[in-house]
Amino acid sequence: MSALIEIADVSKVFTIRHNRSESLKSSFVGIFHKRFRETKETLWALKNVSFSVARGETLGLIGRNGSGKSTLLRIVAGIYEPTSGKVEVPKGARVGTMIELGVGFNFELTGRENVFLSASMYGLKRKEIEAIYPAVVEFSELNGFMDVPVKNYSSGMQARLGFALAINLDPEVLLVDEILAVGDEAFQRKCIERMKQFRAEGRTIIFVSHDAETIRSFCDQACLLDHGSLLFVGNPGKAIEEYHKLLAS
Amino acid sequence: MKLIFSYHELIKNLVLKDLKLKYRDSTLGFLWSLANPLLLILVYSFVFTQMLRVDIPNFPFFLLVGILPWNFFAQSLMMSTGSILDNANLIRKVWLPIEVFPIATVFFNLVQYLLALAVLLPTALLFFRVSLSWSMLAFFAVLTLHVLFTLGLSFFVAAVTVFYRDVRHFTEIFLMLLFWLTPIVYDVRALPEALRRTVYLNPLSFFIASYQDIFYRQTLPGPISFLMLFAVSFLSLALGYIVFSTCKARFAEEV
Repeated sequence: MSALIEIADVSKVFTIRHNRSESLKSSFVGIFHKRFRETKETLWALKNVSFSVARGETLGLIGRNGSGKSTLLRIVAGIYEPTSGKVEVPKGARVGTMIELGVGFNFELTGRENVFLSASMYGLKRKEIEAIYPAVVEFSELNGFMDVPVKNYSSGMQARLGFALAINLDPEVLLVDEILAVGDEAFQRKCIERMKQFRAEGRTIIFVSHDAETIRSFCDQACLLDHGSLLFVGNPGKAIEEYHKLLAS
Repeated sequence: MKLIFSYHELIKNLVLKDLKLKYRDSTLGFLWSLANPLLLILVYSFVFTQMLRVDIPNFPFFLLVGILPWNFFAQSLMMSTGSILDNANLIRKVWLPIEVFPIATVFFNLVQYLLALAVLLPTALLFFRVSLSWSMLAFFAVLTLHVLFTLGLSFFVAAVTVFYRDVRHFTEIFLMLLFWLTPIVYDVRALPEALRRTVYLNPLSFFIASYQDIFYRQTLPGPISFLMLFAVSFLSLALGYIVFSTCKARFAEEV
C-alpha cells in the first residue's frame, strides 16, 4: 500500500501572549511602560511528528487533553500551517473535516437552507448538493422538519443533521474529531455503522478518540501523542496499553 | 485565485444568507433599505438648498447619484472589519479559502446598492424629467472598477482587524471624515483650485465624480478620470490582496 498522507517531521509552535495588545493603543503604550508590554511564551503543540497513512487505512489518534491531537488534525486539514515540517495530502483529494457537527449552521435558517449553505462551505457545487440532499434527509431522519428553522431543533436533531451532512459529503479522506459523543445510542450506533461502511469502501479515515474500545475495534493503526510528541505508532491494542501506562504514571 | 472561483457557490450562499436574514420576518422587507438613503436625501436637500442655499440644480438627483455608491463603499468597509472575526468559529473548523468572507460582504452590499439604484434611479429620472443618454452605459465600467477598489480595501481592513481590533472604530471615524472629503453633497468642479486638489487626493472622489458625470451631467468621464479609476482600483486590489494573503495563514490561530 502506498502512503496517501505523509506527515514528515511536523512541529507546531503557538505563541501565547500575556497582556496581549489587541489594540493600537496598547501597542503604543507598551513602548513606554514595561508593565503593559506584551510578553510572549511559546508552546510546542507538536514536536517533530512523523507518520504516514496508507490509502484505505483507518488511523486513530489518542492522547490526554492538550496532547496535540486536535492540532494535528487541523494541520492535516490545512486549517493551521505547520511551523516546520511537511504535510503531504494528494492534490485534489477531497478531505472532509468533522471537527464539530453542524459547522456554519445558522439557527435562523431552515434545515434545508443550512444543508445547502454548509455543504458549499466544503466546496460543493449546487448540483452536487442537490444530488446528496435526499441522502442527507434520509440519514438524519428529519423528513418533515427540513423547512423548520434550526433554532427549533433539539440538540440531538441538530447533531443528526450535522452528521448526516458530513457523512454524505463523499470525501476520500475523513478527519474526525470526537464527534460521536452526541446523539442517542441508537444514532451513535448508526454513525459507527456508517463509518465502517465508509472504511469498507476503501476510504481513509483519521480519527481522534478518548475511547479505547472504539480505537481498538475500529482502527488499523493508532498514534499516541503526549505533550506534542509522538510516543507510539502502530498496533492499536499496543497503543492503548501504552496510553494506559501513561495515565497510570 | 482559481480556488476562490471554485467556491463561488459558497459566496452566493453567504450573500443569500445575509439577504434572507436581513429581510425575513420584516413586513416591509427590502423597502427598509430604501429608507436610509431616502431620508438622507430629504434632509440634506432641505439643509443644502433651503438653509445653505447651494445652487446645484436638481439637487436631490445630484445627491442620489453620489450617496448610493458611497453607502455601498462605506457599508462594505464597515462590515468587512468583522468579516473574519464574526466567522471565527467556521475558520477554525473547516478548511476554506478565507477570502470568500470579505468577497461575500462586498457582494452583499453590491446587491443592496443595485436594488436601491434600480428603484430610485428611474424614479428620479421621471421626477426630474431627465432623459436617458448613451453615457449611462459607462456606468458598468465605473461600477466594476468601484467594486474592485472596494474589495481591495475590504481585504485590507478585514485582515488588519484580526490583529488590531480597534481598526473597527478607526474605520468608523475615518469614514465619517471621508464622507465630507468626497464630493457627494457638493460639486468638486465648483471648488477653488487648492480645495479641489485636496478633494482629489481622496481616490473615492474620482468614482463619485464619474457617477455624477454619467447620470447627472450625462457626459462620459474624461480619459484622465478613467485612467485614475483603473490605477486606484488595481492598486487597492493588489495591496489589499497581498496584505490579506500574507496574514491569511495566521487567521485560524488568531481569531
